Amino acid sequence: MTDEPAERADTPPDAVELLQSYLSSSPARRLAAFGDLVRHLQAAVGEQRQELAAGLLRRVPVPGLDYTAARGLAEIYRRLCAAGAASGKGMRLAVLGGFTTEQLTELIGLFSFMRGASVEVYRAGYGVFRQEILDPSSPLGRFCPDMIFLATSWHDLARRPGPGDEDSRVEELLEEELADWLGLWQRAHEQLGCQVIQSNFAPPPWRPLGNHEARQRAGFGRFVASLNALLQDRAPVFVTIHDVAHLAAAAGLWTWSDPRYYHLAKMPCAPELLVDYADSVAALVGARLGLSKKCMALDLDNTLWGGIIGDDGLEGIRLGPGEPEGEAFSEFQAYLKQLRERGVLLAVCSKNSEQVAKAPFEEHPDMVLRLEDICCFTANWNDKARNLRGIARQLNLGLDSFVLVDDNPAERALVRRALPDVAVPELPADPAGFIRAIEAHRYFEVLSLAPEDLARTDYYRANAARAQAESSYDDLDGFLRSLAMKGRSAAIDRGSLERSAQLINRANQFNLTTRRYAQADLAVLMEDEGWVTQCFWLSDRFGDNGLISVVLAKLEGEHLEIDTWVMSCRVFQRGMERFVLAKLLDIAAEWEVTAIHGEYLPTERNQLVRDLYRDFGFEQTYRGEDGGSRWRLGLPAGGVELGCFIEDESDG
Amino acid sequence: MDDLLAQLQELFRTVFDDDQLILRREMTVNDIEGWDSLRHVDLIIATEAHFRVRFATAEVARLAERDQNIGTFLELIGDKLS
Repeated sequence: MTDEPAERADTPPDAVELLQSYLSSSPARRLAAFGDLVRHLQAAVGEQRQELAAGLLRRVPVPGLDYTAARGLAEIYRRLCAAGAASGKGMRLAVLGGFTTEQLTELIGLFSFMRGASVEVYRAGYGVFRQEILDPSSPLGRFCPDMIFLATSWHDLARRPGPGDEDSRVEELLEEELADWLGLWQRAHEQLGCQVIQSNFAPPPWRPLGNHEARQRAGFGRFVASLNALLQDRAPVFVTIHDVAHLAAAAGLWTWSDPRYYHLAKMPCAPELLVDYADSVAALVGARLGLSKKCMALDLDNTLWGGIIGDDGLEGIRLGPGEPEGEAFSEFQAYLKQLRERGVLLAVCSKNSEQVAKAPFEEHPDMVLRLEDICCFTANWNDKARNLRGIARQLNLGLDSFVLVDDNPAERALVRRALPDVAVPELPADPAGFIRAIEAHRYFEVLSLAPEDLARTDYYRANAARAQAESSYDDLDGFLRSLAMKGRSAAIDRGSLERSAQLINRANQFNLTTRRYAQADLAVLMEDEGWVTQCFWLSDRFGDNGLISVVLAKLEGEHLEIDTWVMSCRVFQRGMERFVLAKLLDIAAEWEVTAIHGEYLPTERNQLVRDLYRDFGFEQTYRGEDGGSRWRLGLPAGGVELGCFIEDESDG
Repeated sequence: MDDLLAQLQELFRTVFDDDQLILRREMTVNDIEGWDSLRHVDLIIATEAHFRVRFATAEVARLAERDQNIGTFLELIGDKLS
């Protein structure tokens, strides 16, 4: 029972029924169910109900789609594009192929749309990827891509060792081959400034040397494997290596390669696997656009362990060694733990009393996941949709950041209907198949990993603890004092450069002037004696908030001009602004300037700091019609309120 | 219209995205708009998947030639199914 008005689903019941019916159909029924779904989609498009068709199309799961079905959906997507109804986060993608890329490109466009992107594609002619990049007058340049995808296969390798080649000769060939690719990427990056996705190389499935192929450096199999390793190690930061070798291995090398289709149409793999190939690229496009999922909401009974904790108790649930099904659940938990360690959030969403639900996490010896791995633990008797909305609110994430993992088909259907934005993968009845069922969707693709990602769960847990503490205080001062906050200030250096640039470029609310600086530009200011570039950290008894404020100020003769001041929204209303200003006053005193000048440039998002300088006692020297303002604080400043509950831990 | 032809007509309708398409035995590559090499590949893929047959490399290439028509295509499928 929800106490909120009926959720506006963007697809009416009959369309959801068709989708549901397709998802839960048996293999025998599958084709017919899919046919019904496609006809419904086509009808919707034909009747000008494009929004509806687009919404439904986005929810068709990709795993399990065969080639012909996917091409059918691509047709529908094409019509939606023509009608202007295929919206999403924009991206210009250039596909440059060494093999035939027409079908692959269509599918990449479709699957990117299904992940929330709207990709405009430029597809180069067959086999001319080198020329397109090297020739400055090629159409590629005029297209201005955000991303280039190099669709290459082992046929595109310019060199291969001969059987009698010495190890040193093989090394030479590897370095030469690598140098060619490096040169191509460098050229693309210089001309176009965009991200490059380079496919690595799946080896042919045959091994003339049999088992010895992997040992013999001059064997082609070994050569390809060595090259792939070099690609991963030596690719510059603007290149992402698309792991086709893994796609092929996962499919099975013989299943992957269908020589007939290479001979007939220069297709890189069996057509059925082109679907997986395209989805793999679409997941990278999605990752680039920030569309990857962020949180898994986990059911407990028969999802994390076998059995029902409320009925079976700690001794009765099936988990851990000694029982095959128990081992399957342990392995699933270990997989989830690895996801959480790399920055995916895990939440619990279970129909159980909280105490009973927490017991295994606290006491069962074979639980791999513990409470510290869970950023939000929701166990009650409310319906899942309501609980998921609550979790989303608490974590301050959109519902479209969530994946629901639940063994119960009825619960899955309920959430799909009530919350169309939440991803709900089908799970097999056998827990040994859970990992594969989830992996198939590529929900959590990333292009790189930062320390912030690794600490993400800790940050959310600390914030939850803070919120709870705050609710137990009547006065703000009492709460702030209880936090035992410690602040630190330092000049920006190599170590803090990346995070400082990130903050400058992402902060919207606490941002006085919204000037954006590329990391390279910030590095220049960092070295400039005429600039003060200061960054700030804040921690408290619950945890470390990390680097949360940056100030860039220019020395202009007798005064210090604050060019940029940003602060992370994580630490609003803790007194950090006063800490920062106190530091600025110290720095101003060191430089013996007579005043500090500040500026406020209004945007849609930074109303928060409109009166910041006024509140500190700065004098307004200018006021513009657009709401912009300039301010001055004469030094030495008397009467500026700088007291805060933050202890200074800075060096020196 | 016999069953095999009916099934093949369905496949053509899906691949060519034309639910009005009528297939006749005499029709060749030239008689259906949009039947280029790319569509030919899609057709072969759909046919192999639906009938659970496998065409040899040469058979696929041959099917696109001028003296072949739907009739010969159906014969080939029929042979593989028997």
